[in-house]
Amino acid sequence: MELNSTLLINQMLFGLALGAVYILMACGLTIIFGLLDVVNFAHGTFYMLGAFATFVIVSLFGNFWLGLASAVIIVGLVGWVTETYLIKPLYGKDPLYPLMLTFGFSVAVTDLMRGVFGTVGQIVPLPQFFSGSLMWGGIFIPKYRVFIILLMLAVLIFLWYFFKKTNLGMIIRAATRDSLMVQTLGIDVPRIWTFGFALGVGLAGLAGGVNSTIQSALPDMGVEITIECFVVVVIGGLGSLGGAILGGLIIGQVISFVSLFASDWSNVAIFITMLLILLVRTRGLFGEAGRL
Amino acid sequence: MQVGKMKANKENTSNTRTRSRVIWVTLAVFLIAPHIISTPLTTEILIFGLFALGFNLLLGYTGILSFGHAAYFGIGCYGCGIAVRDFGFSIWGGLLVSIIMGILLAAVIGAIAIKKKGVYFAMISMAVAQMFYFMALSPLKKWTGGEDGLKFIPKLSLTFPFHVDLQSSFPLYYFVYFVVGISILVIWRILNSPFGRLLQAIRENEERTIASGYNVTMAKFVSLIFSGLFSALAGGLFFVYLGYGPLQTLFWLTSGTILLMTILGGMHTFIGPVVGVAVFLYAQNKLSWTMERWELVVGILFMALILIFPEGIVGTIKVKYLARKTAAQEVGEAE
Repeated sequence: MELNSTLLINQMLFGLALGAVYILMACGLTIIFGLLDVVNFAHGTFYMLGAFATFVIVSLFGNFWLGLASAVIIVGLVGWVTETYLIKPLYGKDPLYPLMLTFGFSVAVTDLMRGVFGTVGQIVPLPQFFSGSLMWGGIFIPKYRVFIILLMLAVLIFLWYFFKKTNLGMIIRAATRDSLMVQTLGIDVPRIWTFGFALGVGLAGLAGGVNSTIQSALPDMGVEITIECFVVVVIGGLGSLGGAILGGLIIGQVISFVSLFASDWSNVAIFITMLLILLVRTRGLFGEAGRL
Repeated sequence: MQVGKMKANKENTSNTRTRSRVIWVTLAVFLIAPHIISTPLTTEILIFGLFALGFNLLLGYTGILSFGHAAYFGIGCYGCGIAVRDFGFSIWGGLLVSIIMGILLAAVIGAIAIKKKGVYFAMISMAVAQMFYFMALSPLKKWTGGEDGLKFIPKLSLTFPFHVDLQSSFPLYYFVYFVVGISILVIWRILNSPFGRLLQAIRENEERTIASGYNVTMAKFVSLIFSGLFSALAGGLFFVYLGYGPLQTLFWLTSGTILLMTILGGMHTFIGPVVGVAVFLYAQNKLSWTMERWELVVGILFMALILIFPEGIVGTIKVKYLARKTAAQEVGEAE
């Protein structure tokens, strides 16, 4: 294989688009963990639901944007209900219980979706305006990948604005640090938790919706991406949004380059990366950042 | 004061005695069980029972959740299989390889992650298990057989101390029974030693245990080693039982299932995990053929257990039994 800078840049952009999806997922996981102290094992399941929501809406109404928006809204609502009825009763008990519960949730919902949609992959057709590629010198990048990267940036800017500048965002940050104090100030903290959970899984739903044109939606795709997402946040340091972003970038590049040079190892490489980083820096790259 | 202490002591010994009685009863039940329900099913219950006991040593006693215990089970299965197939080991040698692999893996994971907080350890162990799954799936295909699993195994039989043909189900069952039985006694001995008590102290209050001067990290590390050892041994037995090594042993669902079975039986009891395994596998065996959406049932059962019966079958019975006993005692004292 001839190695040249064009190929490398191409591969890097491909990895960036891949990383963008992981970043969306990992940010959601981090928000939920920061606020509720819950590791959401069903995160990939919500990603899968997002992909199916997009598929259903696009096949009904034929509008891709509506599909993406409904992925966020539908998955957010499912998350709202899940948190209210399944996770809320577990607060104050062993912190491992929510992890186990969301595991059960993911097994049940995956099988339910298998019953509804079967085990054949459903792919959302790529909208007309995204087909084709941008040419730029010798570099050649599909328009849709550019869109994913831009969308990720837009979501990150939105999150930054939301957490830093709005009242609700400020309350969430405060509740992440000291929920008892926030409650004392007369704010309905359980409601905030529910909102935070819905927001986090909404991001996973968005990631699923965005990826539904690249990867066909399958009920079984959830768990694998959950574990990859765990790797991302462990690398970045659990509980840190900056860490989630950096972890996503690293994992995107690792997958992209390893699948170029040694495709057999592409699935294994991210775990080896995680172990190496943990050996050097046991709490992850940005670990211990107390803030969201 | 003195009286209270004596009473507590007495209660403690009587507790230990009931529990040891539970073990002998269990062993007796398994001695005749294959004659009543199907032999392959009981063999499987024994193997997964050992796996669950090893798993629960970590979860129920030390209070550490490993979400990737399939790694130990699978590495034990593949380790034994490759040793027997490619290196001409005997069955005993293969099982020894399983144990060593389990210990090594536990030592590596422990060195990296044992100091971590609960959920963090769970995530890391799960990621490591997934890594082994993918390794067996493609890069190491030449040895593991990839998706097909470990195949082309010669006919298995025992030559030491006497010849046992492991192709027929009864001799196979009693071979598994022998190994699992001894393992159960060993695990019971470990958990009722001062070391076992230390593990429970860590589960109940880690800071206090540290303050009492114990090396908590070391104790956790050793409990992980024991847990890995017995889980890998169960994996080795699973290979001997099946006569091949399926890739599913490394799959994440295996980690989840063993967790479910343990909770179902009762993670804060000694024999609970075995009961959970028996109930689960029996139900799976009888129902999954008729039920198309078995995993849906499993998932809902899982959630229901966590929400309503986190103590599981044996745990709930034990709580009821103890409550009745104390009530009876109080009545007796009042009289």
